[in-house]
Amino acid sequence: MTNESSLKILREFLLERTEIPEEKITPEASLEELGIDSLTQLELLFEFEEKLNISLPDVEERPKTIGELISVVEKHMSAKALTD
Amino acid sequence: MRRVAVTGVSIIDPQGGSTQDFFERTLLGQSSITFFQNDELPKPVASPALHCAGFSAERSIGKALASSMDRYSQLGVAAVFDAWSMAGLSVDAEQTNDRWGVSWGTALGGTHAYEHGLRDMWKNGKERLPPMSVVLGMNNACASHIAIKLGLGASCLTYSIACASAATAIGEGFNKIQQGEADLMVVGGSDNPLLYGVFRAWEAMRVLSPGNAETAASACRPFDRTRSGLVLGEGAAALILEDWDHAVKRSAPIICELGGYGSNCDHQNLVRPDQTGQVKAIKMALVNAGMQPRDIGYINAHGTATLEGDPIEIAAIREVFGSHAPNMPVSATKSSHGHLMGASGAIEAAITVLALAQDALPPTANLNDVDPKCEGVMHIKGQSIKNTNPKGAISNCFAFGGSNAVLAFKKSH
Repeated sequence: MTNESSLKILREFLLERTEIPEEKITPEASLEELGIDSLTQLELLFEFEEKLNISLPDVEERPKTIGELISVVEKHMSAKALTD
Repeated sequence: MRRVAVTGVSIIDPQGGSTQDFFERTLLGQSSITFFQNDELPKPVASPALHCAGFSAERSIGKALASSMDRYSQLGVAAVFDAWSMAGLSVDAEQTNDRWGVSWGTALGGTHAYEHGLRDMWKNGKERLPPMSVVLGMNNACASHIAIKLGLGASCLTYSIACASAATAIGEGFNKIQQGEADLMVVGGSDNPLLYGVFRAWEAMRVLSPGNAETAASACRPFDRTRSGLVLGEGAAALILEDWDHAVKRSAPIICELGGYGSNCDHQNLVRPDQTGQVKAIKMALVNAGMQPRDIGYINAHGTATLEGDPIEIAAIREVFGSHAPNMPVSATKSSHGHLMGASGAIEAAITVLALAQDALPPTANLNDVDPKCEGVMHIKGQSIKNTNPKGAISNCFAFGGSNAVLAFKKSH
């Protein structure tokens, strides 16, 4: 699993459900500035779990950017790969 | 007591047109009811229904809002945005007001969210529901979206009283303005009963009118000798109510006045309507409005087209209006739009407002042969009656559970 595919899932989700322009969906973009609230973040984590067939742990610190949100998924995927 | 002006009105046209498009079809006695079918298992639904096939949530309220709502909220918010604009207010304005509120009605609320989730689990083997399910399905979701989007701080209330939900929401919103607790209230209702479990539940009560693709439009025949029950419908309608001086001060378009509201409970039976309770509710609305029976020139009846309910309502009207009853224009517009459950009081109040404002009284569609048990009033048949210049009109809603809600509107002068 690469960073690219997580970003693709996130892009597709946001394009389908929000009016955020595609060019603004970058790793550096602030979730707050894009209007991605805590509820939408929960939906996104659910989407990752469904699409990647994983079970994400509760996060201790809320991600603030697109990149941080994706790294939650990436870290879990890396840990999972090591233990599999 | 403060006077209450109606400054905005909107109905979701099932065919995707405007409020006026829908009203004009209703004046012509044209039913918007179609034959509704789906492919749900084990037994697909195939029944006459009011289906808002022409409604696009994304087009009406935008993709972002639409994707955060269940269908009943989408319909409701779309109706409110339209009424809000008609009242000369801007949806996009960064405004908040602690003297403005919302009072909304729905019987089923977000039932769709739960039914959809359950079916997904059982049919597709899913073990859990998406995180948004709770906020999609909660029955105050629509009112909350309205309050958040329009900055309404006075109240965010939802009434769930079966068929009287929206009429009660309108009446209680009216009370808030009349008693000085708010200056403007967004009121109305929305519902989505076109759900698998809801259809099957109503079928089991043996009160749904049968029909097919050819007969669906005439499936709902209130007061007719051949009536065969009600037709389920989804939809929404909204009114903007304002303190009269508040409306005048901001030069809002005053469509008519909401003069009175009567509500009570039959306390008799869960499903059988009660003439005594209905009479009391109608009289309360008239007294509250400071109107006499002779001041009323149109009644939008509850008229669901059930064998038992229709004659009881006509008897109640005859008792209240006495010698005026034989000349009292009455119609049940459910014949055109079906039974919108918790939103029925909203669509019928909106039609009553338009009838007063445009001096055009809609007919009971499909009414050809009045049941002798329903005689004693002037049934509006065929097409509308125009230029009668009514001073006032009432809209009746009588719910399962025994709750009655009657709204009395006055022509604005």
